[in-house]
Formats: sequence, structure tokens, C-alpha cells
Amino acid sequence: MNVDNNKIVAFCCANSAYQAADKAGKMRLCYPDNVRIIRVPCAGRVDVVHILKAFEKGAAGVLVMGCQEGACQHLTGNTRAKERLKYAGDLLKEVGIDRERVKMVNLAPDMAQKFICEIEVMMEKIKEA
Amino acid sequence: MGIFLCDCGGSLKNIDFPKISGDLEKLEDVAFIDISHSLCLEEGEKAITSRILSENINRVVIAACSPELREHKFVRLLEGLRFNPSLLSLANIREQCSWTREGDVTEKATELIRMAMGKARLLQPVERESVSVNKEVLVLGGGFSGMKSALELSRLGIRTTIVEGKSTLGGKLKEVEGFYGLKTSPKQMLDSMITAIEKDNNIEVLTSAEVTRVRGEVGDFDITIRGGRKEFSLSFGAIIFATGYRTEILPQDFELKPGGNIISQLDLVEMLRAPEKLKRRPETIGFILDVCDENSRLPTLSSLNNALAVREKLGSEVYVFCKNLKVDSEGAEELYREARNRGVVFLKFDEPPQIYCEDGRVAIEAKDVLLGEEVVLPCDLLVAEERALPPEGTKGLSSMLNIGTDFQGFYQDENVHLYSAASARKGMFFVGGCRGNLDLRRALTDIASAVMGSYSLLALGEAVVEVEKVRVDPEKCRACLTCIRVCPHGAVQLVRLDTEKEVAQIYDLACDGCGICSALCPAKAIDFKGYADEQILAEVEAMGETNERR
Repeated sequence: MNVDNNKIVAFCCANSAYQAADKAGKMRLCYPDNVRIIRVPCAGRVDVVHILKAFEKGAAGVLVMGCQEGACQHLTGNTRAKERLKYAGDLLKEVGIDRERVKMVNLAPDMAQKFICEIEVMMEKIKEA
Repeated sequence: MGIFLCDCGGSLKNIDFPKISGDLEKLEDVAFIDISHSLCLEEGEKAITSRILSENINRVVIAACSPELREHKFVRLLEGLRFNPSLLSLANIREQCSWTREGDVTEKATELIRMAMGKARLLQPVERESVSVNKEVLVLGGGFSGMKSALELSRLGIRTTIVEGKSTLGGKLKEVEGFYGLKTSPKQMLDSMITAIEKDNNIEVLTSAEVTRVRGEVGDFDITIRGGRKEFSLSFGAIIFATGYRTEILPQDFELKPGGNIISQLDLVEMLRAPEKLKRRPETIGFILDVCDENSRLPTLSSLNNALAVREKLGSEVYVFCKNLKVDSEGAEELYREARNRGVVFLKFDEPPQIYCEDGRVAIEAKDVLLGEEVVLPCDLLVAEERALPPEGTKGLSSMLNIGTDFQGFYQDENVHLYSAASARKGMFFVGGCRGNLDLRRALTDIASAVMGSYSLLALGEAVVEVEKVRVDPEKCRACLTCIRVCPHGAVQLVRLDTEKEVAQIYDLACDGCGICSALCPAKAIDFKGYADEQILAEVEAMGETNERR
């Protein structure tokens, strides 16, 4: 499969996951080139339309990365994103895309390893299909 | 559009900058592409300055290190040049591109820059303006935390009003017998604070008063206070909640009802204040801890203090039944040692002890894990463990103000992003006992951060806001109240337009820019400049884009 078709879009909360991604870079941890990180102020900002657009543009997987449960600066942003992702998953299923291709991830700003681990898990899932 | 590329002192060797520049130059809307070695240093700033002043550009894209590191620096630079910083878009080509791989990443870097450019094209200017804020602070609760906050704020020149429900100031300070390890007694401490408050022109005290309604936002809270039969409105810039906690012996914790031989800490304190009134000196006194609450910081401290006071004033034998004595407060370990030295006996149990009445005395039966034997101890008095609970009305107030509570019902659950005392509502601070099991030392930390927080918000009498960064389009708004319900910062209000129509409006100063409302609005009426739907979509769309496919 062409690498171009395998893009993963990661919507990253500026308070946690974006910093985790930065940290992964600072630690010189290698991760696949096909991840595109989009910075959002809070995971709660990510709407279903953003996720669907990513798939329309050829992404093979979408990750929404926010803070740990209960540690959202905006109290409910990450839990709302999670609910929204369920809905997005339902929509994907209807058009014949595996609902596992969209996933919510909870990270703290220092969890660079987990950031990469989640990307690799998503890559595996994409390769399986 | 002007594009600045930074190769970080030549260290980003796996990105071919001339190739990127050659690739992007062909785009119509690119005015120039500069490659610099260090945008964050003085020479880089000079390069940006001269370019922006000489070229007629209306968007800036900077491809450099993470925006977490340098965004504020570029924003300040652009502000100085009278270039609206909201028209700046950043591409992170260092942490999230060059450093993630050994090999060549030019392609990825180009794409990241294209994404930033896609966003930049749609950015709209956001003006900054300063708005005036009310400099007065309301302190709710006249206990230690409340009084201390008011005094500290007064020292910084901020006027405060203390609203206390009881007829006198003092709160829990009146109910403590002594602080062992501290030279001042609670009474001395209380008296000196009250005198200081009376002398202070910056502090107004309203006793036997309560707050009945809170409206408005940070900088301009509209508070209705009822004092006696009168009800009146006052305006404040910030609110410090120091409503304290209450203690109670819950019937489910102790099957025997309190009264008679089982007493509370407060009963004991009263006894200690007037030992001459006692008919008979109690020979043995038992304390019991860790029965109802594992996290018993305050009960432990008060038991240790009171046990020492009993030894000193009554000379009775004192036994403390505990599971794991928590000495995590400052000075508590010393207090514990002092108690042991003065003859207080600590007995450690594992299973909850049995308590029953026998011949007018209370017997405690427990298996001591250190002795490995059953211990039966008849005492004249048993001081029961109390639970620290949130004050009455906390639940109602927290739901009215949209403030979270923790699992025990105290205000302000632990949240790593908020300072210990700040809350999701800007301008509302929670200090001391109302935030949970806090000892004096922790309360002082809270007070310091709340005082600092409110001072930095209000001290200048004005605050800079980004005007209508998040804006509700009155044409599209159907007043469904979704945004008002979901806003974690209470920044949305319903306002009446001059016509019949009511629409939601976002208060710039209270808004924290999370965008939850903008994602949830069913009418898509909320525009979040910088993270608008179109801007995020443009970033997504720029993936895999080439010059031809644009």
C-alpha cells in the first residue's frame, strides 16, 4: 500500500498531547512520518466534521488526543470529545469504514512514549486491513 | 503572505530548505520566503522586522520550533510592529518533523508548512483592547482563611468586603483549643486578626449576612447580599470563597449516639476551657481515629492537639486508637512524638474496634496489631472521630456557579491545569477548608495563590482582552442555550437584542478559548477565530497538496 494513503491525522490538545508530541521529538524518539498533527486548544474543539474531512482527504486513521480523564483544563472537553468520537465511529461504520480507525487517546504532557505507542497501534490496525 | 523558515542554527540537516523555498515560491499568494538561522535570536528578530516593515504582507507563516516554545515571543514581536499577531500561523518543523527521524523529512516539512499556510489564508484579525475591571474583592466567609485573604489583599491596596454568616468573625478558630508547636494560641491569633481588620480602612465586614445571588463575570460580578432584613446589590471584580467546612459525627460511623460518654472534639474543647465546672475528673479518655475516613488529616491534627491539652489540663490517661496515623502535615510528626513523650498511648488496630457501654463507662475492644492481643479498655469518655464535611449549601452553590466538586462534595476538585485555588470560572477562588481536608499550612498556600491570582487580574483596574475572539453570530443563533450549558467557564450569557430576539453572547474576559461551544453549537453560529471550522478544515485539506492540485 502506498504510504501516502496511510496518513494518520492526530488532533492534539495544546495542553497535553501536543506537548507530548513535542517531547517525543525532543527525546529523538522515531515515529512514522505519515502522522499529521493538528493543534487544537482542547480536545473538545474537535468536531465530527473535522474527523470526516480527514477521512475524505485520504487519512487512514484519526486520533483525537486530549488530557487525562478528570484533568482537562476546561473540565469536560476530553469527555465530550470521547462522546463525539463514538458518534463519528457510527457514521464511519455506516459508510463501511472500520470504526476502530478513529480513536480517543488520553495523554499527559510528559507521556511521549504513549503518544508513539498509540500511533504504532493505529498503524498496525491500518496495515491489518 | 510572508514565510519565514528557520533552520535552527543550521542544525536541522535533514530538511532541504532551498528545495522547500523553491517549491513554495511558485505559489501566487507568497510574497517572499526567507531562510534564517535563528529567528528566536536578535538577528532573526531584526530580519523579521525589516521584512514586515518593507513588504506589504497581510499574513505571516513561521516554520520553526514548537509554538509551545516561541509563539509568545513572535506574538510580542509582531505586536510591537503593529502587525496583528492573530494573523500569524506557525509550522512545527523541528520537534514534530526534523527530530522525529534520522533520514530526509523535506517532504513532511513542506506539507506542514502548506498546512500552516492553508490555515493562514483564512485567519481573521482579532483586535486587542483593554477593558476596565472592578478592583474590589468579595471574601465569602470570615474564618481564618477569609480574614487572612482580606488582610493580605489590603496590604496590596485592594479593597475587600468580608461577608460572614455568623454574628462574629472567627469561624473554626473559635473552636480550637490550642496549636501545639505554634507559640500563639488560636485566641491570640484570632484577636490580633480581628483588631487588624477593624483598623484597616480597606476592609469592610458584613456579619450575619449571606450572599443570595451571584451574577455577572470576572471584573464585574453583581452580588446580591442579604443582611438582616435588607437586601442589596454590590459589584466586585473577583470572589474568594472561604466558606470553610463543618464537622459531624455520623450515626453510621458510630452506632452509639453521641452524648453522654461519647463526645465530640468541640465538647471536649468546651470541657477543657472550664475544667473547674466538671463534676468529676475523667480518669481515662479514649480517642478514636480512622474509623470512617482514611484520609483524616484534620481529625488527626485536632485529636493530637486535644490529647496533649487533656494531658496538660486534666492529667487524665489518654489512649488513641488509630489505624494508620497520618502525619503528613507540617509539624504533625513532632506533635505525635510530643504526645508520646507526654504519656499518650497509641494503639493500632486493623479491624474496626467494637464500642459498647458498660457500667456507665464506654468500653473499646480492639485487636492491637503490635501487641497481637485483644485489648479491652473501659474509658470515662470517648472522643469520637468526626468527619470533615463541606458546609451546608455547597451543592446548590456549586451547581449555580457551575463549579465542580470532588467526590466528598468539597469545592474545586484537583485539576492539574488550575492552580490549587483557582477555579474554572475566572475570578473565583477557593481557599482553605471549603476545598477539603486542609491544615493551616496548606490553607496559607491557598490564600497566597488566591491573593496573587486576584491581584494580577484586578490590580491595574483594567485587563487586556482579545475582542470577539470567540463570537456568536446573532443572525444564526437560535438561543438553544447549548453553549450556556456547556461552557466550563460560565462565559456565555443570554442577552436581549433591541428586537424581540434573544441571543447568546460571549464575555471576552471570562472566555478561556477552549472552543467547546463552537464544536457543539447545532446552528454553527459560534466562530472561534484562530481555530474556526474552516481553518481546521483548511489544515486538513492541505495534507498531500501540491502546487498543481491546489
